[in-house]
Amino acid sequence: MEEIEGDMEEVFAENLAEYSVKKSRRLYNREVLKLLRPALVRGLGGNHQLNYLGMLQHNLLITLRGFKRHKATFLINLIGLSTGLAAALLIFLWVNDERSVDTFNEKNDRLYWVFTNFTLPESVLTWDYTSGKLAQAIKEEFPEVEDAVRVGNHFFRPQGTISHSEKNFEVNGLFASPNFFQVMTYPLISGTTERIIQDKNSVAISESLAITVFGTVENAVGNTIDWESSLLNQPFVVSGVFKDPPKNATEQFNIVVNYQALIDAEEWAEDWKGGYARTYLLLKEGADAEQLNQKIARLMYGKTDNNKQALFIKPYAKNYLYGAYENGIQVGGRIENVRLFTVIAIFILLIACINFMNLSTAQASKKMKEVGVKKAIGANRRDLVFQFLGESILLSLLALLVAIGLVVLLLPQFNEITSKQLEFNLSDFILPLLAIVMSTGILAGSYPAFYLSGFKPVAVLKGKVANLRGEEWIRKGLVVVQFTLSIIFIIGVITINKQIEYTYSKPLGYDRENIITFTRKGPESFDPTPFLTELRVLPGVTSVGNMSGDFLWGNDNSSGYSWEEGDVDDNHLFKSPRIGYNIVETLGLKLVAGRSFSKEMNDDESKIMLNETAVKFMGLKDPIGFQLEASPDDFKEVIGVISDFQYGSLHQEIEPMLFRFRSSGDDFIVRLQPGTEVNTLEKIKTIYAKFNPKYDFEPSFLEDDYRALYSTEDKVAQLSNYMAGIAILISCLGLFGLVTFTAERRSKEIGIRKILGASQVVVVKLLTATFTKTVLISIVLAIPIGYYFSNEWLHNFAYSIELKWWFFALAGISALLIAWLTVGFQTLKSAKVNPVDCLKNE
Amino acid sequence: MKKTKLGEFEELVLMTVVVLQAEAYGVEIKRELEDRLKEKLSVGSIQSALKRMEEKGFLTSEFGEATQKRGGKRKRIYSATPYAHRVLEEMKDIRTQLWSAMPNIATS
Repeated sequence: MEEIEGDMEEVFAENLAEYSVKKSRRLYNREVLKLLRPALVRGLGGNHQLNYLGMLQHNLLITLRGFKRHKATFLINLIGLSTGLAAALLIFLWVNDERSVDTFNEKNDRLYWVFTNFTLPESVLTWDYTSGKLAQAIKEEFPEVEDAVRVGNHFFRPQGTISHSEKNFEVNGLFASPNFFQVMTYPLISGTTERIIQDKNSVAISESLAITVFGTVENAVGNTIDWESSLLNQPFVVSGVFKDPPKNATEQFNIVVNYQALIDAEEWAEDWKGGYARTYLLLKEGADAEQLNQKIARLMYGKTDNNKQALFIKPYAKNYLYGAYENGIQVGGRIENVRLFTVIAIFILLIACINFMNLSTAQASKKMKEVGVKKAIGANRRDLVFQFLGESILLSLLALLVAIGLVVLLLPQFNEITSKQLEFNLSDFILPLLAIVMSTGILAGSYPAFYLSGFKPVAVLKGKVANLRGEEWIRKGLVVVQFTLSIIFIIGVITINKQIEYTYSKPLGYDRENIITFTRKGPESFDPTPFLTELRVLPGVTSVGNMSGDFLWGNDNSSGYSWEEGDVDDNHLFKSPRIGYNIVETLGLKLVAGRSFSKEMNDDESKIMLNETAVKFMGLKDPIGFQLEASPDDFKEVIGVISDFQYGSLHQEIEPMLFRFRSSGDDFIVRLQPGTEVNTLEKIKTIYAKFNPKYDFEPSFLEDDYRALYSTEDKVAQLSNYMAGIAILISCLGLFGLVTFTAERRSKEIGIRKILGASQVVVVKLLTATFTKTVLISIVLAIPIGYYFSNEWLHNFAYSIELKWWFFALAGISALLIAWLTVGFQTLKSAKVNPVDCLKNE
Repeated sequence: MKKTKLGEFEELVLMTVVVLQAEAYGVEIKRELEDRLKEKLSVGSIQSALKRMEEKGFLTSEFGEATQKRGGKRKRIYSATPYAHRVLEEMKDIRTQLWSAMPNIATS
């Protein structure tokens, strides 16, 4: 407003010429008052705000300049926090998804699943299935149960093919009681829940099946399909269409038929002694599940002649995560992985946050001069607090943005590893994320904000800074925590990978290479002999055999054998696969004594084979020719003893096994000549199609199936590899930042030392020594913790590696090496520096 | 006339600026107007009118030389923009049109 002032002066001068000084002054004052008009003066209140805004702008500018000036620190900080956040976020997405499985039912909180604890002499087996009659009985006997559903358990699922207008489609079905759709939430697109599968000749199909078979949902209803499977063979009317089960449902099916159809096929499905159904209960609002649990426990005692089956109920959705039992007691399940990864995510987040705090505080102590100058000019403490907090919050928010970008970018790959279809919905996570990020920012900013701002400006400017020893201790402590966590990660990764390697390479006692297996689907009445004969003569086929049930799953059991006179009810449950001719030869199992089932000797169901463990278990001195009593007065002759082999996955120990004979098994095992696989498979397919025209040929290699048994461990291994990598990366970034900071701080010391004759080696040693010490402390701390966790994890396996000393040594040494590498670059740089450069400024 | 919004006093100040040419700064405008209008004006009224018109785009300004009389403060010399000239013309036209349309009551 220079010109106005000028004008005023000029007018004053004029007035002075005309009037007295006094009057001129008076006139001047009046003029000044008249100048107070909105066009010329901005509001007084506005002035204050302007200052506030100005300070904000100023702080932002200083912050941004700081980022620009210390690019390395800024980037390290940003990358560290954002990778940590992104990794944690991905894991939480996965955990969230795991926790959501089976919770889609509207009445989820009242939906329970009935389990059976079956008592054996030495152990208790837990079944997720019950008798088919149970649902009705419970509904009638217990008033607190609103409704009860039965569905065929997983052994009794109607599969096979449906045909409509000359076309065949494979289906995956479910036997269910008529109230199934009323209790469980599988929304209907067409039809009503009360009517949809009322009679045994109608079926409900899923939306996607309706579209593939009939083109549209509307065309499907009322139409007829022919369904042929091992359990059914008849026409059905489509009475309704339901939406495909959600992807987080464990029960996946595309066609539902009345349970009555199962009863027609197998009368045991409606018998107290049969275990054909899964029973789901819908409790009344406010019913006490615990009480019902106690009342229900002995229900089966009265229904069967023995007291071996104890019932208990469990929330329907809980089974997915808590599905493992040992001797009738719940011991874990998938929840263990969920917990493991939650811990990993928290660790990574912790490392990242520590990193961020460490670097921010280190950076802030460089700002002591700034604090001094600002305070001298008149900034009060509150403004400084505000500035420092704002700076670290801004940085953490930036990191959050980068992290979100990373998650969106990496989600497809992550889905591939975890074989899930996760989606990232920002709105679900934004609040907790903001909370984490803000608290990290505030925590990291609080040191400079509250501690540095308290300094006396004079002291700071003179360079007489209070002792910063304590601060350095905290920083080193944080680095120790970081490195301890990283070393634990490395130990874990070594253990997991070694164990996985072991499971793949362990000799199992049978051959896995060049062997394919496939299951014949279709009607029960099928004589495999001509099929086997045709396969056997194929040029690429070395050997072929058939058995009942999948070889790798190892879940064929039988009990009730006795081998000593008078001991009639020894109820040991034997693993007892039912195998046909040639299986022993095809799989390359070793015979210890006797012979295997053979056609030439006309072996049939009256013969049996044992494994070595079984011979030991029974205490047989001369097993060959021994007559084993399978049930009263039904003796089986032992014809051979097979050397022990791993049946099922390595989670199972080698147990006593019986090999029963069954010539009509539907699972075929073929050993191929190496090198001709593709050709031979093609030929087998043609033969299969000839004998079984309606069904697809789906062979798989035993080797792959074996690997698939460990898919969970595989995923855990892969994920933990990545996570350990991230943890180490972040820790190293932190270390790098810190050593840069220290070197900078001690540059004068280094300069003086060099002038006094210290060599580069001495300087490098000087700088490295402190960090080596911190890493060594971390190693000492990490080894026992890592040992504990690895040991716990290995307990999951019946056959596991032993923890060797070199796992820990390797982890420790690699941590040390990584630390040295990180530090080395920076130390060398400062050791080489010309002392003049760091001493000339004072 | 729609968007211009030129007040009566503003119009007078604007015309004075045009008249004074290179001498158009605060006090000079005030003096000139005081002479013509034969009444006292305050510095504030002139200055606020100038600022307002500058915002509206009628005037541009630049600093001139400082004089002893002004206590070493520089003058701000105003000049009218072409837009201002056009608006002034327009207003004059409207006035003449109105005058010619007026019945000769006042003069007769």
